[in-house]
Amino acid sequence: MKRNTFYIIFGLVVLAEVLAFWLSVELLTPLIIQVAFILGVAILYLARRKIEDVIDDERSVLITQKAAMRTLEIFWVVFFTISLGSAAWGLGAPMIPPHWRPEPPETLNLGFLGRLGVMQMALLGLMILLYVGFRMYYARQYGEWEDDEE
Amino acid sequence: MKNKIKVYRAMHDLTQEALANDLGVTRQTILAIEKGKYDPSLELAFRMARYFNVTIEDIFEYGL
Repeated sequence: MKRNTFYIIFGLVVLAEVLAFWLSVELLTPLIIQVAFILGVAILYLARRKIEDVIDDERSVLITQKAAMRTLEIFWVVFFTISLGSAAWGLGAPMIPPHWRPEPPETLNLGFLGRLGVMQMALLGLMILLYVGFRMYYARQYGEWEDDEE
Repeated sequence: MKNKIKVYRAMHDLTQEALANDLGVTRQTILAIEKGKYDPSLELAFRMARYFNVTIEDIFEYGL
């Protein structure tokens, strides 16, 4: 399989995931998106193994390792900070001191699980952003986008 | 670390792509090594030396 074919499959899987998420919300069945997500990841994993061009070598592995390490170094601090705040909140301390608290705007009532889900997604988004940022930084450092005349 | 990969590549009339394919790495890796942006592992350095039938010291030079 060529690398471009993989990217097409990747795009199709992302579209299918969006559809599955919409269906999950509409039908109030979280299992749909959960199963679809695992299937999507499995399909992408299998498809990636079928790519014939060399895509991973020691330099790309080094870039991935360094980016993952830096991401973890920052992410655990953020995650721990938020967890400590949540624990304090759960044990009775208000998240915002009462005299600072603004009037609550009219918002969707997500409930505890909904808020937890949104917070987890935000944290996951942060982790992805950190990883992509560090990956670009190290890729640039190790000459990923250099070009040369032959 | 300095290296003479470009020289050996020219001597063997090889493109970066061809050398990369023969060594099982990406063209970007060959380019990064040639430009001194990336120092290859000992294993890849040995494979390069064997590929060109020379010693590692012929290709790579460690400069302080």
